[in-house]
Amino acid sequence: MDLESLLPRVTKPARYTNGEWNAVHKDAAHVRARVCLVYPDTYELGMSHLGLQILYHVLNSHPDFLAERAFAPWPDMERQLRDHGVPLMSLESRTPLRDFDAIGITLPYELTYTNILNVLDLAAIPARAADRGPDDPLVIGGGPGAVNPEPVADFFDAILIGEAEEAILDIAEAAALRDRDAALARLSEIPGMYVPSNYQAAFDGSGPKGSVTPRNGAPAQIARRFVAHLDDAPFPTGQIVPFLDTVHSRVTLEIMRGCTRGCRFCQAGAAYLPRRERTVETVLRQAEEAVAATGYDEVSLLAFTSVDYRGIEELVGKLVERLGGRGVGVSLPSLRADAFSIALANKIQQVRKSGLTFAPEAATDRLRRVIRKHTSEDELFAAAEAAFSSGWTRLKLYFMIGLPTETEEDVEAISDLVRRVVGFGRGALGSRAGRLRIAVSIASFIPKPHTPFQWVGQESREGLLRKQEILQRALRGRAIKLSWTDPGVSELEAAISRGDRRVGAAIEQARALGAAFDAWSEHFDFDRWARAFGEAGLDLHDYAHRTLDYNDPLPWDHISCGIGKDALQAEAERAFSEGDA
Amino acid sequence: MAQIICRYHKRDEVRWISHLDLKRTLERAMRRAQLPLALSQGHNPHPKISLSPPLPLGATGDAELFSVQLAEGMDPGELKQRINDSLPSGLEVMEAWVLPAHRKKETFGDIDIAQYSVTVKGEVDAARVSEHIADLMGQEELIVQRGGKRPPRSLDIRPFILSLALAQASEDGVELRMRLRTGSHGGARPQEVIELLALNGADRTITYHRTGLFAGAQLGAERASAGRSTGAPRAGRLHRWTRSRSSRERSESP
Repeated sequence: MDLESLLPRVTKPARYTNGEWNAVHKDAAHVRARVCLVYPDTYELGMSHLGLQILYHVLNSHPDFLAERAFAPWPDMERQLRDHGVPLMSLESRTPLRDFDAIGITLPYELTYTNILNVLDLAAIPARAADRGPDDPLVIGGGPGAVNPEPVADFFDAILIGEAEEAILDIAEAAALRDRDAALARLSEIPGMYVPSNYQAAFDGSGPKGSVTPRNGAPAQIARRFVAHLDDAPFPTGQIVPFLDTVHSRVTLEIMRGCTRGCRFCQAGAAYLPRRERTVETVLRQAEEAVAATGYDEVSLLAFTSVDYRGIEELVGKLVERLGGRGVGVSLPSLRADAFSIALANKIQQVRKSGLTFAPEAATDRLRRVIRKHTSEDELFAAAEAAFSSGWTRLKLYFMIGLPTETEEDVEAISDLVRRVVGFGRGALGSRAGRLRIAVSIASFIPKPHTPFQWVGQESREGLLRKQEILQRALRGRAIKLSWTDPGVSELEAAISRGDRRVGAAIEQARALGAAFDAWSEHFDFDRWARAFGEAGLDLHDYAHRTLDYNDPLPWDHISCGIGKDALQAEAERAFSEGDA
Repeated sequence: MAQIICRYHKRDEVRWISHLDLKRTLERAMRRAQLPLALSQGHNPHPKISLSPPLPLGATGDAELFSVQLAEGMDPGELKQRINDSLPSGLEVMEAWVLPAHRKKETFGDIDIAQYSVTVKGEVDAARVSEHIADLMGQEELIVQRGGKRPPRSLDIRPFILSLALAQASEDGVELRMRLRTGSHGGARPQEVIELLALNGADRTITYHRTGLFAGAQLGAERASAGRSTGAPRAGRLHRWTRSRSSRERSESP
């Protein structure tokens, strides 16, 4: 049975074929190293991940290396592969993953980790690095999840901490040695590279308390890798254009990396320091090239907060001027709740209607001080009014519940705030008030490593559910659409986020019990995960909910993102004293 | 303003992309080709492209059509060249022609017959297939179940099978040819016909290829209900959609 004959039996077969515009096909006989880049979720999600496109471009631009892609097969395809004994293959040349020199797996978020095990299993590659032999490819991880690599440390030969666009060529050189031991030695010399087998993990009771110590002369701490100048960093303007409708069916231009706002709950803030910008000239040139090379009708400017980009007005103005006539729209996915953002959005509006999203995160000034989210109520209302009077009828508002020091009053304030926004909307829209739609999204706070709140235990599921119920009761009406995350999902995310090396066994056990695609609500099963932790001799609850002492050794202390533990502690103490003020 | 019609092939791996994805693919290819696309008015300007009726997912075709509105005239030969340079492998424009300025936007709404060649590879008893076809075409009604994600419902597709014949038989398998009603007034799917003939099975490889699109089912449908003929429609009754069809040329027999 070949893959071709399995395609009629699965949904969205185009996930497993290829031939997309700008996909690269190289002859394996003429390269020194073959790398398969794997995104451990669906094709549609993986193809919206810019990191994958950047690494694909860097590797394939090099004459000596080749990169192909693979994604986690959807359960229907997984069943077909297993039933017919077909191994997981790359898209481009349908080469079994086993036959590559290295597999590079993205760690996008914790809930994909069972998919990683599944991908390795379908590829007939041993899940644990310790069980791999000379014929197995190197399995290398990297991406946002790498800032706490411990939960998946046993599954990887090496994990790059930080940004990979420079390191990827060194990784390919190591793979080109085609000798496992020599390659591992070479990998351990790459700055930012964590080779878990060079570190011994120790534990202290149940929960995220324990240390990781080097052996074999490895450095005590791994410093996160990052590119010094974004303007010089490689960027693919010839991005692959999927046939399938992906999450982001548009050109993505990264205008800025990093964020200095310092929101205390935000791991990305710590994981992408320092703030670096591309120049307006570079972005304009890349926009022209990318539109010509892809044929997309939308250009999206990627940044954590695009309005913090210094040349944002000039850039948006020029993009609209140059692309608007061709029917190419510009979108800014990360607006802030202020008047400046609305003025910017108005400029974009000249070409295309795009949605507006504000993320106040908390509804009282006190709680916003605690999390260091500097948006005042007045600013938010001014922005909402400006948006409505400029013709917007739809707004998205993002909030979090379960934040440190949060009380029921803080939660009730969310519904007051939303109702006031609705009131402004009705007033400003007049006869069009019937079209007003406020989408309110309620996430649960998750304590994340390398943030000032890393020591804080997550609120219990019962507590989060009670707060959700308060909001469900208070936020009704035609104009309001309320959505929230399953507290069970948040609890698992917290447990894995703060996990130590033992959590890897719980992930293996969850996979054995059938867990996969845990980020998809139809596949998520909290009880299965609780059982998996239990069978691994661990308590999920401890990892998510235990509040740690500032002096406790943490499983991720050997990873340095650039902010010292002392500084994080000082920031945490400041947060709590500001909450009392 | 100019309107251009293209006949194109869809084959190889792109046969696995859906109608909607195909439309986006064509749009993007035309943007890459930097054609002077006419854009719709309004907040969300988009090019004006129409496609002939969807191919079943996984089927190939060489009589597929799309129309596109251009802001200014263009030589069809140059257009064909430029689009083909920008199309992913598996999609290729075979001919392109300009519609006269007075013609309204072509949306292929009159296409209501599709002709397929279906190849069944594997062990097949050709004589049994012939008998089965004769039996099928003699039936008053042929009930199939449709549903997908919705609850299944029964549907009689006999009126939508205009012709069905065994075209070739060899040791490797058989090739069937069929003309089926398609479009908004109902239709049959080639997979349904294969299932009715019990030719689908795990040990067989079936490939679907659309070889023609026609306008004028009214005639065919009348004939089918009157005569229950298993043969091909008489020449001259249908209008094959080709370049010259823009002036409704007569068709040849399949």
